[in-house]
Amino acid sequence: MITFSNVSLIYPHSTKTVLEDLSFQIEEGEMVLIMGETGSGKSSLLRLINGLVPHHTGGILAGDIEVDGISTRTVKPGALAHLVGIVGQNPIQGFVTDIVEEELAFSMEALNVAPDVMRKRVEEILDLLSLNSLRNRSIATLSGGEQQRVAIGAALVMQPKVLVLDEPTSALDPIAAEEVLSILHRLVHDLSVTVILAEHRLERVIQFVDRIIYIEGNGETSIGSADEILKNSDLVPPIVKLARALNLSEIGTSVREVRRHTEAIRSRDYKELKNLEKRESPAIFVNQLSHTYGDKKALNNVSATFHQGEIVAIMGRNGAGKSTLLHSIVGLHSPDSGKVTVNGQDPIRLTGAVRRRSIGYVPQEPSDLLFASSVHDECNQADRDNQLAEGSTAALLHRIVPAISLHAHPNDLSEGQRLALVLSIVLAANPEVLILDEPTRGLDYRAKAIFGVALKEYASHFNRPVLLATHDVELVAEISDRVLFLAEGDIVADGTTLDVLLSSPAFAPQVAKVMAPKPWLTVSDVVEALGESS
Amino acid sequence: MKKSLHPLTLWVSAILLAIGVVALDNALVALAIVGAVAILVYIRRDGSPWNRSFSLSLRIGATIMAIRTIVGILIGVPIPGTVLFRIPLLDLPSWMPGIRVGGAVTLERLTSSLHEGVIIATMIALFGAATSLTSPHKLLRVTPSFMYEIGVTLVIATSLFPQLATSARRIRTAQKLRGIENAGLRSIAIPLLEESLSRSLQLAAAMDARGYGISRKRSRYRPQPWLMRDNTIVFFALALSLVMVTR
Repeated sequence: MITFSNVSLIYPHSTKTVLEDLSFQIEEGEMVLIMGETGSGKSSLLRLINGLVPHHTGGILAGDIEVDGISTRTVKPGALAHLVGIVGQNPIQGFVTDIVEEELAFSMEALNVAPDVMRKRVEEILDLLSLNSLRNRSIATLSGGEQQRVAIGAALVMQPKVLVLDEPTSALDPIAAEEVLSILHRLVHDLSVTVILAEHRLERVIQFVDRIIYIEGNGETSIGSADEILKNSDLVPPIVKLARALNLSEIGTSVREVRRHTEAIRSRDYKELKNLEKRESPAIFVNQLSHTYGDKKALNNVSATFHQGEIVAIMGRNGAGKSTLLHSIVGLHSPDSGKVTVNGQDPIRLTGAVRRRSIGYVPQEPSDLLFASSVHDECNQADRDNQLAEGSTAALLHRIVPAISLHAHPNDLSEGQRLALVLSIVLAANPEVLILDEPTRGLDYRAKAIFGVALKEYASHFNRPVLLATHDVELVAEISDRVLFLAEGDIVADGTTLDVLLSSPAFAPQVAKVMAPKPWLTVSDVVEALGESS
Repeated sequence: MKKSLHPLTLWVSAILLAIGVVALDNALVALAIVGAVAILVYIRRDGSPWNRSFSLSLRIGATIMAIRTIVGILIGVPIPGTVLFRIPLLDLPSWMPGIRVGGAVTLERLTSSLHEGVIIATMIALFGAATSLTSPHKLLRVTPSFMYEIGVTLVIATSLFPQLATSARRIRTAQKLRGIENAGLRSIAIPLLEESLSRSLQLAAAMDARGYGISRKRSRYRPQPWLMRDNTIVFFALALSLVMVTR
C-alpha cells in the first residue's frame, strides 16, 4: 500500500537530515507504530505519506514515496485526500467548521461529491464512530475524546485506504484513549484500513500494532515486529522493562502474555513493602471549594489538605475539574465559595516577587511563560527577577538536561527541553509549593524519567509539596505519594497512590495489571520486593 | 434546539428596515425598532461567539451618537431657538465664513444632533443584530462559489480570532503567575504571534490535506432551503419598511 524507497529528508536552513535512506513497505490492513524520541522526525515521516512534507513545509526530499501506486512527488496533498486521511496532533486546530456534521462533510464538499452520496456517508461515519448523538453539537463544546473521534471521522469519510494519526491519545484520559484505540483496531480488522500512527505512550498502543518503525536518535531506523524492536530498544513501555528486570526469556506486548510468563513469580509469598510514613505538616488547605463556569459546576464543595514534602497527583477524566482545582490553588480566579490558603496566605492576593517565592506554577502550555529569543536570555531574566547570581538558572537547567544549548531559540527546543527550561525558571525563585498542569504531554520515556527525578528531588530535598494534574498513570505510579481522584467536580477518591490506582482497573498501571493481586505499581517495586525475599 | 432561519433572511430584513428607518427619519420609531430587535436577539441567542456582536454594535452606536452630539453642539451652522447655555465663541479667520465653533447652544440644535445620532446608531444596531444571529460559517455556505477563496480566508479569520482572545488571556494570566505584574507588549505579543502563526499554518495544512482547492466546483451538504418562515419574516420587514417609506 505504501512504499518508501531510499527516502532522505532535509529541511531548509538545517544541517541535519531528518530521515536518511529509509526504505520500507506497508501492506494493506496493517497497523504500524512509529516510535522515537521527541524531535526524531516522527511527525515528518507521517506527513511525508500524503505529501504535506515537503509540499507544505519546504525541504529537500530524495528517494520516492508511493501510496497505492501514486508517487507523492507528482501530486498535491489534496489530490490524495480520497486515499490518505490524516489526523493531526491537536485535532481542534485542524477543524474548519463549527458543527460536527458539517465538519464531517467538509472534504466531500471540497471534492464536489454528490449530495445524496454525502448524506449516506456522513450517516455511516456517525454510526461507525458512535457520533450520532453529537451530530448537531458545536465542536468547541465536545470533550477531548469526542473531538478526536470527530477528527478521525472527518478523515474516514472520504473512505481512505490509509489513515495516518499523530499522537492520537496524548491529550486523552485513559478511558477516552481506550475508546479511540479500539475504534482504530476495528477499522483495521473490519475494513482493512491501513493505519499508521506515532505515539509516545507505548503502553497504550503496543498491544494493537503489527509492526514498529523505530527512529533512533542517531538517525538510523529499524523496522520489525513489536517483539523484535522492543527487545533492543531504549524506549520501552513498563511491561517490557518488567520482563527485562525479571530476566524473562520472552518479552510480551500485552498484559495477558506477560501474566502467563510471570505466573511462578506471582504465586510466591513476599514480605510487604514498607509503607510510606504519614505526613502531618499541612501546607495547603482547600476548604469547601465550589466553582461554576456559566451553568456548569466545575467544583462541588471540595475539601483537601496537602502536606509538606508530598507529591500529589490529581487525576480524573477530561473535564472532571482538575485544572479548575489547580487554578483555585494557584489563585488564578476567586472561587464562588470556599477558601484556599497556601502556607497561611490567600493565593489571590499574591503578586510579583512574593508570588514567585510562594507558588511555582507550570501551566498546561509551558511556552506561555517564554518570550525571550534564546535560552540564555530566559535564564538571565529569571536570575534578574530573583536577584540570583548570573548563571544560577542556567546551572539548574543543566542539572536537569545537560545537553541543552544556551543559544537555541526556545521555540526550537524539543518538548522535553522546553519543559525543563520552564521548570528551571519556576524553580529559580525557590517557590514554597510547586504546581504543574499536565506536564508530560508529548514527552518520551527518557524525558519523563528525568522530569520525575527533578520533581522528586525538589519535594524531598526542600520538604515542600508538589501538586500535578495528569492523565499519565505510569508517571503517577513512579513519582507520586498520594492520588486525588476527581469526577464531575467531586473528590471520589483520596488516598495513597497504591490504594487509589489499584482500585480502578482503567487507571491501573501496566505493572500492576500484570502483577495483580500483588500490590506492586512499578518495576522498581517488583525488583525491591523480590530482592528482599531472596 | 432552535430552528435556524436561512442565513440571508435576517440580513435582507435588516437592510429593508434600515431603508425604512432612514426614509421615515423619526427617532422615536427608530428607538422602538432597536428595542424590538434587542428583544429578538435576546430570545434567539444560542451562546455562540458571534452573539456578542449585537452588544458590541450597541456600544459602537452609542459612541458614535455621543461624538455626533458633541460635534453637533460645538461646530456648525447656528439654529435659532431656545438658548440652553452659551459656550465661548472661538474666533476663526475671515476665510472660513459661515462656520462657527462654540457660541449659543439651542435646544433645537441639541435635538437635531441627537436625532441624527439615533438614526445612525439604529442602522448599526440592525446590522449588529443580523450578524449576531447568523453564523458566519452558514453565511459563507450560501455565498456564491466564485467568492469561495475569500470565504476560506474568512474561515481562518473567524476561527482564529476568538481563539486569539482566549490565548492572549491565557498567556497574560500565565505570566502574572510567573510574577510579572505588568507584562509588556513584547512578552505577550511574542508567544501570541508564534501560536497564531503556527495555528494558521496547521489549519491551512489540514484544509490542504482534506482536498480543499482540488475541485473547482463544490457540492453542498444539506443546503439550507428558503422556507415559508423566511418568506413571512422578509414580507413583514418589507411591509414595515414600505409603511415607513411612504409616510
